[in-house]
Amino acid sequence: MTTMKLLEKKLQKADQKQAVLYLFCNFVSLVIITAYSAMMLSPTVLLVLPQGGDSRKQMTAVFVLALFGCTVFTVYASCLFFRKKSRQLGTLMALGASRKRLAPGLFREVLLLSGTSSFLGILAGIPFVWLLWNGFRLFLVNSQEMTLKLDFRFLYLSAAFFVLVVACSCINAFRYLKRTNIMDVVREEHRNEPVKQLGRWCGPLGFLLVLAGAVMGYSAPDVYMKLFHAYPNALLNLLYAPVFAGLYLIMLHTVTHGWHIHRKNPYKNLISRSMMKFQGKQTVNNLLVSTVLIAGGSFAMFYLPTLGVSSVLETASRPFDYFYHYRQDQHIPGERELSAMAREHGTAIRDFREVPYLSLGMDGTTQIEDGGNSFHIEYIELLEEGKFFSETDYETLTGEKLSVKKGSYYAISNEAETGTFYINTEASKLTNMDTRQSLPVSFAGFAHYGLLSDRIGYYILNDEDYSQIARDLSPQWMGRCACFNADGTDSYEFAQDFFHTLVSSFGPECEYPDTYDRVYKIYLNEQGETYWGDTDQMSRLSYDHPDTTDFRTYWTYMPKSRMLDRSDFVKNFAVFLMMFLFIAIICSLAAMVIGYTRCLTIALNNRSVFEDLKRLGASPAFLRREIKSQAGPVFQFPGLMGMGIMYFLYFLILLANDGKFTTGEAIGMAACFGLLLIFAGIYFLVYRFTVKSMCRQLEIL
Amino acid sequence: MLYVKNLHKSYQSGNKSYPVLKGIDLSVADQEFTAVMGPSGSGKSTLLNCISCYIPFDEGTITLGSQQLKGLSEDALAKVRNEKLGFVFQDFMLLDGLTIRENILVPRIIRGKVDKDTEKLTGQLLALFGIEHISDKYPADVSGGERQRTAVARSLINQPLLLLADEPTGNLDSKSSRTVIEAFEDARDQLGASIFMVTHDSFAASFCDRVILLKDGRVYDNLKKEESQSAFQDRLLASIKKMSSETV
Repeated sequence: MTTMKLLEKKLQKADQKQAVLYLFCNFVSLVIITAYSAMMLSPTVLLVLPQGGDSRKQMTAVFVLALFGCTVFTVYASCLFFRKKSRQLGTLMALGASRKRLAPGLFREVLLLSGTSSFLGILAGIPFVWLLWNGFRLFLVNSQEMTLKLDFRFLYLSAAFFVLVVACSCINAFRYLKRTNIMDVVREEHRNEPVKQLGRWCGPLGFLLVLAGAVMGYSAPDVYMKLFHAYPNALLNLLYAPVFAGLYLIMLHTVTHGWHIHRKNPYKNLISRSMMKFQGKQTVNNLLVSTVLIAGGSFAMFYLPTLGVSSVLETASRPFDYFYHYRQDQHIPGERELSAMAREHGTAIRDFREVPYLSLGMDGTTQIEDGGNSFHIEYIELLEEGKFFSETDYETLTGEKLSVKKGSYYAISNEAETGTFYINTEASKLTNMDTRQSLPVSFAGFAHYGLLSDRIGYYILNDEDYSQIARDLSPQWMGRCACFNADGTDSYEFAQDFFHTLVSSFGPECEYPDTYDRVYKIYLNEQGETYWGDTDQMSRLSYDHPDTTDFRTYWTYMPKSRMLDRSDFVKNFAVFLMMFLFIAIICSLAAMVIGYTRCLTIALNNRSVFEDLKRLGASPAFLRREIKSQAGPVFQFPGLMGMGIMYFLYFLILLANDGKFTTGEAIGMAACFGLLLIFAGIYFLVYRFTVKSMCRQLEIL
Repeated sequence: MLYVKNLHKSYQSGNKSYPVLKGIDLSVADQEFTAVMGPSGSGKSTLLNCISCYIPFDEGTITLGSQQLKGLSEDALAKVRNEKLGFVFQDFMLLDGLTIRENILVPRIIRGKVDKDTEKLTGQLLALFGIEHISDKYPADVSGGERQRTAVARSLINQPLLLLADEPTGNLDSKSSRTVIEAFEDARDQLGASIFMVTHDSFAASFCDRVILLKDGRVYDNLKKEESQSAFQDRLLASIKKMSSETV
């Protein structure tokens, strides 16, 4: 060893452990970011998740959380690497190596490490997505829609993160070389990083801030729209910021004070508490990142039970096995054809009922965009389409006798009256769309029949009013609702045949989603305006793909079949489920890796403390307890806080959706709790594994 | 050899300035073994760090041989550290990934001149400080005393004008401390080295030719050794006691 290059090479070899840790952290971050962005921008997902829809927003929001977590983790890894490296750098500087002399070797090393780890992370991210997605297909659900297609523009995001990782390493290298006080560089490794210790009030204040931030952030858009008659800017999301500030204060409290008050034994946990305090900055940052990731993971995890439970309950509570409706200008199979079809499949149909309905124009007020973000509320004479039964037909269909006063109407909703936002309760007149004759009405109340809860609402009129307004109405504005039960055991084959036969019976004039409103279209066209549903903004449905999620979720004449909806539930929502399951796995995995890395760092940094304790006669049991009290908070608090906060936020979302907390939602939340328990169990196993690894590192038997 | 005149240094914390050195004047002669003692916060380590060019100073001059340190560029200061100064630290600061022999060679590698003469000198230093038998071992595998003697050997590989030692016996037991002090004496007697040592240990300081006492950033006393080592230690302790009582 005679040259500087050889010297650096030998030192790098000696620092292998540290380099591997650094490589691993960057690698994990890049795998997560690459996999997530690949999934987020995959055509498979984008085709199914509606543009501007909540699911896509949620997916993006969790991505932002993951990005934040990975960035902090990467910065942490870089700082950790340089803290270890600083002693070597400082020693060489102290012995006379100039910064200019050290710079090339140092930059070469960090560029190599950060570049290689990031590149490998990106490379591994792609097969990781492929394996995970196809694992889902193999073990959970497989359909044509689930074929993974990647849009390689996701690599832009990975490349941006790659640049961030490399830049972060270079900036750190530059910072260390730039320091004027060599002794600071030498002592960097042993420098404590105490956080600013606040009083015991910081924890409770943190909880208050979390609560205030969650409520403010969630309710702000509504308040803003009511106050300013404008759609809120994305900046309004900054009102969620107190949640993060609150979380920081809670973590600070956890690190500096802990949550157990030992009045009788104030010296209990003295060692572990001191160790935590003196590495407070890093610990608090790590706890915060883990909390955010676990919260993101939990959010994604809750999607499955809430969606699943409400669907299962809705399907189970249907009074008929089959329900469908159609326009009278369509040639749809009737009872006779359906009975024949059922016979072919070895089953029969019973309780067949069929009643007519009218499609009428309803008036009301709505938000009209003025351009930009602002809007105003305007009364529209032909605001939307509504489907109206006569009181007699309603009784025929449901068996429920309802007396509707002349000049009034009832709206049909499910028992919980959820989803009322698309039921018009303020109509003052109904219009026959052919004759333009109108009927003055007022809202009389709700009738409850879950099967008739639909995006284009069902209503009930007085028999006399019904006859009056139906006069001269053409078949395209009249429809029929039919329902029946399968006699004995229903069959999936029959359900499939029924569905596909029905779809193929409809004409192209019915090939549109339930968001397409024929009444409002006519109104706008008469005003000389173009209806948005006739532009490219409209998502297209096609009879050629009746088994896609889009078609089955949004087709306006989509029939209901208990057998089909039960059997194909996972298939219909496969992409949603897989996407959210994927997010949950990615975020949870990241939180676990961060917790594990942090704990091992604690063990490595405090090796001397544990060795001193051994010399002072500490038993292995005592040392293990100290290790647990170090690792415990790193896992416990982010776990409890992340899961707890998200559980609370989800409850808030369900409550705020329609101002009610229904039985279905309660069961869904109970299922979420069960899922959290399973996740907590896995998290606990990782904690146990981490404690064992720490003990092994510190040679504690 | 070393001349320090009117040296001032203060640390900044927020808007406040804390003066640590308040006009130090001292000198170290050729082949002189000098110690600096003083209570905590008296400015010993800051003084050593200023002379070592590890931290910049505010006012005054430091002259090493014929070279003034103030105003030198980063590169020039690094060259001074490498060629004219040798360092021994309390926590040894050996590089864990290098063997004892390689650690000794580091300053010469930085200088860029490793030749047969260097190999020969390394061998001589290993022999002089009694660490030949561990030359291929790593720092983690040898005792504290051996590590510090390695650090002394490393500090001498570039045959510097002045050897600076910061609490070199601070982490060692008395037996190891004694071997390190003997190593310094050997360096002075056999290699003609000048040594400037900061220490808390009056026993270690009693082996020096001169002891400078610092108090509150100023030179309190300058004691030249004119008697036996034990008598000098007694005089040293008496002076320290006097200095402490004045503090109270």
